[in-house]
Amino acid sequence: MSVSRSRISDKSTPRPGETVILFSVAGAKFAIAASAVDEIRDLAGLQKFWSGAVQQKFAKVKQTLERQGQRYFVVDACEHFHLAAARSSRLLILRHASAALAVDAIDCMLELNSIQALPRAFSGEERNWYRGLALVEGRVIPVVRPESFLSKAEVTLIEASVRGREAGGRTVARA
Amino acid sequence: MTKGSKARDNFVVFPLGKKRFALSAEYVSELSRQREHGEEEQQTFPHTTRLLTGVVLRRNQIVPVADIASALIGPEVPERKFYLIVNLSVRGKVNRAAVPVTGECELAEAERLPVSGKLPPYVSGLLSLNDEIVEVLDLERLMSAEVRA
Repeated sequence: MSVSRSRISDKSTPRPGETVILFSVAGAKFAIAASAVDEIRDLAGLQKFWSGAVQQKFAKVKQTLERQGQRYFVVDACEHFHLAAARSSRLLILRHASAALAVDAIDCMLELNSIQALPRAFSGEERNWYRGLALVEGRVIPVVRPESFLSKAEVTLIEASVRGREAGGRTVARA
Repeated sequence: MTKGSKARDNFVVFPLGKKRFALSAEYVSELSRQREHGEEEQQTFPHTTRLLTGVVLRRNQIVPVADIASALIGPEVPERKFYLIVNLSVRGKVNRAAVPVTGECELAEAERLPVSGKLPPYVSGLLSLNDEIVEVLDLERLMSAEVRA
């Protein structure tokens, strides 16, 4: 499956009438702004990723995807949210950086009328993970912040590490 | 208050296991019954905040559930069918939280005695009720980072 969409301006502030994509990971449901997603596809074409020193810091990045001549770093959503093992079947290609998110399933697209702020009592990593909480048919669904999976700066750091390793490999090969 | 008399405040006293604890009544906005008939009222989503176990909906507002029982009495927690809805000051703003309790709550007017002996930092005072000494909880302190294990 591959669903591409045209690029439109991305805003990270909550706004009424916002279209979101609901997805699930290890039984938990999440929403992400549809405008933050460039494409939804299956897992075809993924390559195992190992980047040495940065791997520990970015253990949640386990795979890469070559797409339109560009390398995307794939974040395992299960690891990101510290959830039990999941069965990824879909990739969300994110727009803000060369990053993608592996999730169990895409549930639906819907329009949110409002997003409530995450209550301040929540003080852990979730303050970075979520823009807020949405109520969908009486169910509380966290609305994720796409940058929390991998920021532009983090992607740059991983790319630099990969380039360094590749250059090192070439030097060793020449020697 | 006449000269020499001690200030008495209102407290909500509630049991947890074999002990009773108190919260200053000014922080408690309501005692509400959890849904029955096996409905799972509390909803959860991934997070890393200690003591928070999920959220409940109250008047269309999302209220975090602060299950303080394990921190106060350990893992053997009794079944609780009510929530004390309390107002917490978090980073300078008032936020509501739901504290699961058994429901046998009592409103008591008593003098808050100073903490004596070695008590955890989240105990902000003591109440002498009949033959019982009840710890007054500072919920914000209990949930704050300073007392995290």
